[in-house]
Amino acid sequence: MLTKDEMLAPLARLREDQIVVTTMSVVRPWARHSQSELDFASADSAMGHAADLALGLALAQPKRGVICLNGDGSMLMSLGTLATIVDSGVTNLTLVIVVNGTYEITGSQPLAAHGTIDFEAVARAVGFRRTYAFDQADEYERQLPEVLAGVGPVLASVCVEPGSEGPLARRPSAASPYLRTSLRESARQLRDALSG
Amino acid sequence: MSRASEGSGAPSAARLVECLTALEITDAIGIPDNDTAQLFERLRCHPTIRLLNVTREGEAFAVAAGLWIGGRQPVVIIQNTGLLESGDGLRGTVGRMGIPLLCLVGYRGYSKMLAAGQDTASGPLDAATLTRPDIDSVALLTEPTLTAWGVPFWRHGSDLDTDTLVRRAFEAAAQQSQPTVVLLTRGLT
Repeated sequence: MLTKDEMLAPLARLREDQIVVTTMSVVRPWARHSQSELDFASADSAMGHAADLALGLALAQPKRGVICLNGDGSMLMSLGTLATIVDSGVTNLTLVIVVNGTYEITGSQPLAAHGTIDFEAVARAVGFRRTYAFDQADEYERQLPEVLAGVGPVLASVCVEPGSEGPLARRPSAASPYLRTSLRESARQLRDALSG
Repeated sequence: MSRASEGSGAPSAARLVECLTALEITDAIGIPDNDTAQLFERLRCHPTIRLLNVTREGEAFAVAAGLWIGGRQPVVIIQNTGLLESGDGLRGTVGRMGIPLLCLVGYRGYSKMLAAGQDTASGPLDAATLTRPDIDSVALLTEPTLTAWGVPFWRHGSDLDTDTLVRRAFEAAAQQSQPTVVLLTRGLT
């Protein structure tokens, strides 16, 4: 099992010009590794809709990679999105499922199906082009360049230690820069960055 | 806010596709129902509008949000049953992000509701009305729900006003930076 930093630090090092969509318990940790104008926090938003938001971005920006750091609880809320992703024909989307088995933001209550659901197997069955599952930091770091390279859609399930991230809030004093503006303003900032 | 605009004839899918093309819509996202099946068939082979089927209607709003942020101009096409299912997807993505988005929503149960002597101004809904076997409760709930969500909507039923109505909803979405809905009260031919 990885720590969040063991998952995020190598990703931040390897990330080039991809859009990164974060949600729930990785929103603030990711901002400690990256402060790119192409980072977007699906926070103060609809839980369960980060992956489909990322799909829309990927379809709109086919020449640019999109990485979605989704939670396992969020993914369970919209498991059908995996089928939509495959059916869309998108090739530039990498979906990372942060598997900690809990609703961390609300106090780490256990998820339904934790310990039984296998996201990598589900994605493979649905038709994802490449799928990975990691529970060791060294293996994850060794294979991450391959995960991020080539044709997608790609799904990587990463087992991460349960943490203690509290509720998310957008406010001008937020430590994470991408939480200092409203969701509305963040959407326009990303749109401007992509059109520039 | 609502703007009723109805005629006697059934609108055509071909006309609606022409409208979407004229508005430079780039992507159509949704799930077909019996009333919009013709529209989906026409969009499936459209040269400039990309069609994407989703598995649940709430997804359509998040995908549309991503497309718009990425520089596209999507439309969402779903049934009113799916609209009710989409509540938080709509609220938390295109609604909260203030994204101008035209939505075409099949109005299941509308004709049956009118035939049963009910309409959208019949007054407060109660359990007796919502469980009447001769009325589809989704029709009773569609407009009050849109009103509660703060989503402007227009009723569409005739080819006579397709261009005007769809363009009006599209322009309102752009001007107000929010989703707007055209309710398709009759099946498309």
